Amino acid sequence: MIKYHLVTLGCQMNMSDSERVRAVLDGLGYIWTDKEEEAGLVGILACSVRQKAIDKVYNRISKWNKWKDKRNLITFVSGCLLPADRDKFLKLFDLVFPMSELNQFPDMIRQYGVVTPFGLEQEHSSEKEVIKKAQAIPDFVSPKKIEFNTGKKMSELNIHIEDFWDVEPNYASNFEAFIPIQNGCDKFCTFCAVPYTRGREVSRSSEDILNELKRIVDQGFKSITLLGQNVNSYGLDKGDEEISFTELLEKIGEYGNQSGKEFWLYFTSPHPRDMGEEVIEVISKYNCLAKQIHLPAQSGDDNVLIRMNRKHSVDKYWQIIHAIHKHIPQATIFTDIIVGFTGETDEQFQNTLKLMEEVKFNMAYIAMYSPRPGAASSRWSNDIDQEIKKKRLHASSEVLRKHSLVYNKKLVGQSRKVLVKGQDRKEGYLSAYTEGRIVVRFKSTNTKQIGSFVDLKITSATSLSIEGELIETWKD
Amino acid sequence: MNLRENKIFKIQEIRELTESAFVLRFDRHRLNFVAGQHILIGLDESAELREYSVYSGEKDNFLEVLVKEVEDGSVSKQLKKLKVGDPIQVESAVGFFRIGKEDIDKNLLFIASGTGIAPFHSFVTSYDDLNYTLLHGIRYASEAYESDIYENHRYISCVSKDNKGTFQGRVTDYLKENKIDKNTLVYLCGNSDMILESKDLLEEQGISNEHIFTEVYF
Repeated sequence: MIKYHLVTLGCQMNMSDSERVRAVLDGLGYIWTDKEEEAGLVGILACSVRQKAIDKVYNRISKWNKWKDKRNLITFVSGCLLPADRDKFLKLFDLVFPMSELNQFPDMIRQYGVVTPFGLEQEHSSEKEVIKKAQAIPDFVSPKKIEFNTGKKMSELNIHIEDFWDVEPNYASNFEAFIPIQNGCDKFCTFCAVPYTRGREVSRSSEDILNELKRIVDQGFKSITLLGQNVNSYGLDKGDEEISFTELLEKIGEYGNQSGKEFWLYFTSPHPRDMGEEVIEVISKYNCLAKQIHLPAQSGDDNVLIRMNRKHSVDKYWQIIHAIHKHIPQATIFTDIIVGFTGETDEQFQNTLKLMEEVKFNMAYIAMYSPRPGAASSRWSNDIDQEIKKKRLHASSEVLRKHSLVYNKKLVGQSRKVLVKGQDRKEGYLSAYTEGRIVVRFKSTNTKQIGSFVDLKITSATSLSIEGELIETWKD
Repeated sequence: MNLRENKIFKIQEIRELTESAFVLRFDRHRLNFVAGQHILIGLDESAELREYSVYSGEKDNFLEVLVKEVEDGSVSKQLKKLKVGDPIQVESAVGFFRIGKEDIDKNLLFIASGTGIAPFHSFVTSYDDLNYTLLHGIRYASEAYESDIYENHRYISCVSKDNKGTFQGRVTDYLKENKIDKNTLVYLCGNSDMILESKDLLEEQGISNEHIFTEVYF
């Protein structure tokens, strides 16, 4: 029995990818272990958003390669990798592959299983030496087969992505799931490295998406999130051969009505540039389409948006907000904000605060700008002092708190249907969230409620936490 | 073009325009693009790619990019060493800096700094009878890359370090001295400082934000 351990860094896309990696390994008979020390196969899904995340990969492989002095161990890395890092990892890991090559992972493991004895010295060998030694062993992989380890050409990153999507994932939860609908990005925001790590936008077939969705809804999943770097440019890469994102939502909405099943459908992230009013109208029409919109603004200043190469203006952002207010006034609105981007003046930051004051976001993921290796803006000077960034982070967080408190206080006394997510940090409480993804905790030790909808009466609220009392548990 | 076919793109021609600027012409195969979009290119064996606006026209049976060797750049230095016949890596065209079909016969003002002229070269070689004026911000008149393709009265070089251009000074100086019709659609491409300063000046002149389109080079 060989055990495996997988470390997943970064965003929801990597979390989703990890479910497919685990499905492949489980299918091969490997057994999951929480303890990497016990594993014979260890891997990491890397994230290139920040250098710190890449440093974690180097720390991990350094440790794992030391373990190789004492025992056989196969190591692999995949996920969001910049080409330069990928080249370095080739010398450190046994297997390096783009996620789109996951369906070839079993072959790679079998082949490396043969070479494991000299894998002990691989840390000090070049890739060419490894291939040469491998070819000297009978029945080993043909040179052609080992090409997927090189993974050098960006244009090839997404070639097999459809095969990847064919892998049926082992969902980490039995009531929440991510469904990838798209991979890659064509937007080239200057602060972001994703276009260089995941390649161009490729849309998954709507038929496959709908099949996966129907299957998990039938299994009782309650919260499903469509994932993509720019979900609302879904289908554009396929031209007339694929439906649009709006049509995809409409089909899901129709299925939700026909199935009679209770579930909430979310999506992340949309890009304001491609977000039209028709998407909002469709969300308003169907109960299963959750009334929560995550709409990254990044900045409230047009000049900063130009430097970020966001391809949308503050006006365009407001058009979408107005459409949300018009068609789904009950919707909660989340956003992403970067403070202290290269060249951001006080006045420009004030415009971001103004946007936050006026939109009154329910949640904002606010980050101090740090250059991301590989992203275009990393070639510009990171000229905003760290102390100023901290002050801007604090000021914007205060605005967020102020408005979320007002919203949360209004909920007190109301009843809300919530999905129970798990045990709360506060002992004796369970944690749940509303359709608008507002987190609420309530007193209960009945863990059987996890994964179910319940009705709560909201009893108290602060800017960051809400409490309620159980009224009723929904029957499936 | 279907990238699954993994075509090899080979350099067909290199035109040296200045000591550091040059045009690379290479195979197009069936790669589709809309004038104004950019492609990613790099050395065939290299992992690092950079975005370059397509310089050639939509109807040309080749692709061209305008490259300036950057002192601390890695890709541009590699591209500078290429020879005719060498393979390069090319990624499909993306981007939103383009002229909408409904805008093609409107009054257009193109404002470029340096190699930011590339998408405008593509506009002009792709579309007949464009009603445009092109302001090109450069340091020396010798940097007026292949300006002979533009009609004389449409190309205005704004030269900051010699007096051999159409206008002496930066494009922002030109905008301060010349009134732009408020119905003009303005396309800006180049370094971000030029774009942001020009945008402020245009807005002061009454050009609405919706009539201004930008492509930042970095």
